[in-house]
Amino acid sequence: MSSRPQVAVSSTATDPIVTEIIRNALLACAEDMNQTLIRSSYSPIIYEGKDCSAAILDEQGNVLGQSTGLPIFLGNLEACVRVTVERRGWDAFRSGDVFFLNDTYLTGSHLNDATIFAPIFWRERLVGFSATRAHWLDVGAQDPGGSMSAREVFAEGIRVAPVRLYEAGKPCRDVIDILALNTRFSETLMGDLNAQVAACRTGEARFRRILDRFGYEAYMAARDDFFRQSELMERAAVDAIPDGIYRACGLLDGDGRGGPALPVKLRIDVAGDQIAMDLTGTAPQSSGPGNVGYAGTLSACRVAFKLLVHPERPVDGGTFRTLTVTVPPGTICSATPPAPCQFYFTPLGMVIDLALRALAPAIPHAVAAAHYGDSMVMRISGQAAEDERFLMTGPHPGGWGGWHNGDGADALINAVNGAFKDYPIEVVERKFPVVVRGYGLRADSGGPGRHRGGCGIYRRMQVLRPAELYSWFERSVTPAWGLFGGAHGAKPDVVINPGRSDERHYLKANAVALAPGDIVELKTGGGGGFGPPWERDPEQVRNDVLDGYVSTAAAESAYGVVIVAHGQIQEPRTRERRAQMLADSRDETCIDRAPFSR
Amino acid sequence: MPQFLEARDLRIAADIGGTFTDLIAVERDTKRAIATKVSSRPDQPAEGVLEGLRQVLSDPARLEFLVHGQTVGLNAFLERKGARVLLLMTAGVSDAYTIARHDRRDLYALQYRKPTRLVPRRDVFEVPERLRADGSIEIPLDPASLEPVMERIERDQIQAVAVCLLHAYLNPVHEEHIRELLHERCPAVFVSLSSEVAREWREYERASSAVLNAYVAPSIERYLRHLELKLAELNVTAPVRIMQSNGGVTSTRRARRQPIQTLLSGPVGGAIAAARLGEATGRRNLLCADMGGTSFDVSMVVDGRPTGSTEAELEGLPLLLPLIDIHTIGAGGGSIGWLEGGGLRVGPHSAGADPGPACYGRGGRSPTVTDANIVLGRLDAEHFLGGRMALDTEAASAALKPLATELGLTVLALAEGMLRIINAAMADAIRTITVKQGIDPREFSLVAFGGAGPMHAVALAHELEIPEVIVPWSPGTFSAWGMLQTDIRQDFTQSFYRPVDRLAGDEVLSSLRALERTGATALEEDGVETGRITFERAADLRYVGQEYSVNVPLPGDEPVDPRVAAVAFHEAHRARYGHAMPDASVEFVNLRVAAIGTISRWPWTRRPPPREGDGRLGQRTVVFDGVKHDTPALLRHGISASDRLAGPLLIHEDSATTVIPPGWKARVDDCLNLLVHQP
Repeated sequence: MSSRPQVAVSSTATDPIVTEIIRNALLACAEDMNQTLIRSSYSPIIYEGKDCSAAILDEQGNVLGQSTGLPIFLGNLEACVRVTVERRGWDAFRSGDVFFLNDTYLTGSHLNDATIFAPIFWRERLVGFSATRAHWLDVGAQDPGGSMSAREVFAEGIRVAPVRLYEAGKPCRDVIDILALNTRFSETLMGDLNAQVAACRTGEARFRRILDRFGYEAYMAARDDFFRQSELMERAAVDAIPDGIYRACGLLDGDGRGGPALPVKLRIDVAGDQIAMDLTGTAPQSSGPGNVGYAGTLSACRVAFKLLVHPERPVDGGTFRTLTVTVPPGTICSATPPAPCQFYFTPLGMVIDLALRALAPAIPHAVAAAHYGDSMVMRISGQAAEDERFLMTGPHPGGWGGWHNGDGADALINAVNGAFKDYPIEVVERKFPVVVRGYGLRADSGGPGRHRGGCGIYRRMQVLRPAELYSWFERSVTPAWGLFGGAHGAKPDVVINPGRSDERHYLKANAVALAPGDIVELKTGGGGGFGPPWERDPEQVRNDVLDGYVSTAAAESAYGVVIVAHGQIQEPRTRERRAQMLADSRDETCIDRAPFSR
Repeated sequence: MPQFLEARDLRIAADIGGTFTDLIAVERDTKRAIATKVSSRPDQPAEGVLEGLRQVLSDPARLEFLVHGQTVGLNAFLERKGARVLLLMTAGVSDAYTIARHDRRDLYALQYRKPTRLVPRRDVFEVPERLRADGSIEIPLDPASLEPVMERIERDQIQAVAVCLLHAYLNPVHEEHIRELLHERCPAVFVSLSSEVAREWREYERASSAVLNAYVAPSIERYLRHLELKLAELNVTAPVRIMQSNGGVTSTRRARRQPIQTLLSGPVGGAIAAARLGEATGRRNLLCADMGGTSFDVSMVVDGRPTGSTEAELEGLPLLLPLIDIHTIGAGGGSIGWLEGGGLRVGPHSAGADPGPACYGRGGRSPTVTDANIVLGRLDAEHFLGGRMALDTEAASAALKPLATELGLTVLALAEGMLRIINAAMADAIRTITVKQGIDPREFSLVAFGGAGPMHAVALAHELEIPEVIVPWSPGTFSAWGMLQTDIRQDFTQSFYRPVDRLAGDEVLSSLRALERTGATALEEDGVETGRITFERAADLRYVGQEYSVNVPLPGDEPVDPRVAAVAFHEAHRARYGHAMPDASVEFVNLRVAAIGTISRWPWTRRPPPREGDGRLGQRTVVFDGVKHDTPALLRHGISASDRLAGPLLIHEDSATTVIPPGWKARVDDCLNLLVHQP
């Protein structure tokens, strides 16, 4: 906290009414783009998974309005526009142009994420950009949908620096044809590409109409005005966080090929209304695919910031002005060529959890214990019929961390994803030669605490045809930690043929052959608990037992609640157990048991 | 017995709302409509209906039928006072209900809570059985496995059970068998089958629909039984028809079996009324704005029909059912103006009905949109709700003052600014809805009704560049009137996954015919004469690989050529999404048939009540665009068809006030609609 002067409100005459109308209109404009994209896209990962985002940007690339969508796309659409300007110059843009890029190091994402944007001209002046990003099912990696085992980016698919898809309104067939050929699912890719272009056109038309109505000067004044509003609010919010240096560290499992665990180190300096996040000390980039370009790490730090500072507010060019992010080059969070980046989100989930962990002592009411942490991607691929291959891919939900006034959610998608919906069993079984034999919540997977961590899930799938299994399951070395005495959640696991003589366990699997009839069981982790478990209301523990979230045995061992037949609480033994747990805890010096904090 | 029917020359609609129960009685021969409003009794909803009936129905023998819109089921849901439901699901995957879908609605909410389910995990039972993805049986149902469920039903006196088995949308045999078994042992228990409630894929959404159906069923059953008893005491023998969210009505018998169909029926009457208004006045495309104190519902009539949907959500819980699309926008008279980061915001917080806007004088202190309207002179403090409620102009002004001071604006400038912001935001929301549908609002007329609709309608039309606003006669009872314009309707769906290019034409036709036979039987059971039954066919199609499908009407009674349907699909796709791929493979997803029992309609004319004087209420001072205008205030029923009016103008009537800004022209048509046009 400091007495740093606040940003002065501009003395230029702005009309608060017009500012608000334009601000709302720009938000609606981005939402209309997103609706256009979702409703016309081809792949379930976009229309069900909402693995996409749309924004309208000003002529500098600042966000004017961004749609809801994938949280981790916060802030890197503008990076794509700026990088194009750096390479091509401002004169490169013409009305009717549409640009495409997916270069992992520029976008801070994996090659599957296609950024498509269009410059917007109004009365022959460049006034802004409409930009979209969406996950394309396949961009020609060595394995379908993306590679689990790439050692270099060149195995991850086609990599494209900013190029035109449309030039002055005319499609550039030569470029589009290259994209169409470098995918296993050409029709789908073309459909998604068209959907993104349509979304850009929607944004362009709407933005122009706003300018037609209010004129350029009024729009510019309004823009500066609402950027300033956002900045003011964020400065005040950061100013309210106690000054200090906060640290947290966690270990990622490794490169997927048996290499050592990879540390992610975060230091946060809060000074007045400034907040600086620094990842110095984080592991050097690895030859496994869990690296990410700097732009992605910037997004993750922004997501963490957003979770704590005005999470309800939309993002614009005035947000994140108090946040700086430092990552020395060449780490897993600032990868350079040729590091593979297919699982770019793995370090990002850790960065987000660590930021909350670091700031927990400063703002305990705003944070939560760690969540299960990663997307837990599993793919099953093979021949559905002689002339038809299938690719089932997607993330899986797990438990979220408890917080000062509530339990963590069960079976919720991870922080870097957002509106990602899972595929219903009936859809899966209809589309793929797979039968879901079991699907449910993992009892006792949520970290015990006064407020319990949410439960992870299990899903047991039987393949009907020869297939290959790919999986990238993370956060087993540092599972979701608890806070303030809460315990950690369960780790993830992938098992082939559980209970059979050929049972095998994996976290990272690459092209593991599956025979018809084989069973794959995945288990995702739970969230961390918040506060000592023996302080949890015994009635809540009893209810958890009746609903099967917690076993009778764990109720006693982890919570000190003794439950006898018919779900009744045995009061005297419960009092005794809990008193003992409290006494035992006093012997420990560290009140929060987060395993890797320092 | 035609003479007997002849004698029945009165139709009545009774629409229960949150505050008032609206009744409207229409006489066939005089074409007169009598409307009345009585206070709703949430604890005893039937009482308002009966009290209203006593007012408008002198001779029960004259009543042809009573159409009833009720909110009993919705209220039971919203207050979470429905029945305890046991849910039966396929063994191994029963957590699909508890887990729901794993998406997060609120992207940056760290302390997130999922929507509250209606069935706790301990009440979900597993049934050992399994169908394959093609609907064939892999593991047969073992009747003995239901023993624990039966015991629980008996022990805990369970009233309702929902059943959702995997792939039952393709083959309901196990679900139906379970119902038989349950009814053998526990005949009184209500059984809700997912294959009957929502015959579409996606097990969580289907389970959620079946559960919701079971959850409200006992409340609806109790209510209808009570109502029918009381109607019998009044000697009412005419049939009662229950309004459904699909825009049609149904018998009380069927409403008891599928109460879910009545859940979202509340705002549907307005959309039907608008469609009928369009039909009577030759307009095919209408945007319908129903704005009350706290809610703002938008629906659309496109090409003469209200647009529909097959999916909805209640407090985060999904429902699969055919319904007229009603979009609720979080803006209304109660929306509050406030400051954020030094910038002015209006909404989404609302003062609600209680305490409500400051001018209600119920202790509200926050400046609301209604307060802004009254400060600007657009709302007449003396004629609000026909004079039943006095508004406090001073309190409205006092509520706006502090905010105005902080922004360096006058109270008037703030008030007008708040209206501009809320109007623009409402227009943005409407535009987003039209974008989803691929519609251009400029080709539409705006029909405004509800208490606050006519006040904002012209400003909304201006924002959306809509050239014409229509305010129907008595906008406050327009929805109830719409309920009298409905047909009996039941919708039937059949999953039908077939690629167009591998399909014989008669395969589609035979499936449609089967649905039509089911529909005819259902309507005949409800007493509809065979000759009055017609069908509307439609199919959901999509490009192979897409998930969302586009609904394409299949006109006529002819055999269906799949390739013709595919062409219609390409066109619909282009209209909605701006692009189509004529070379890509297309597949059928669902076949749909609506079985319709036509009810003869009485022609749309409305006899104006006798004119009282010249209807002038004097001059008011009203602010438009920062300028005070001397504005005449008129009584609606003082305007005759020959009058040519021009804004600025205020038009008052019992249930609403229409605000006409300078430059806009207004007149009334033969149906007593007020037509307002862009200059």
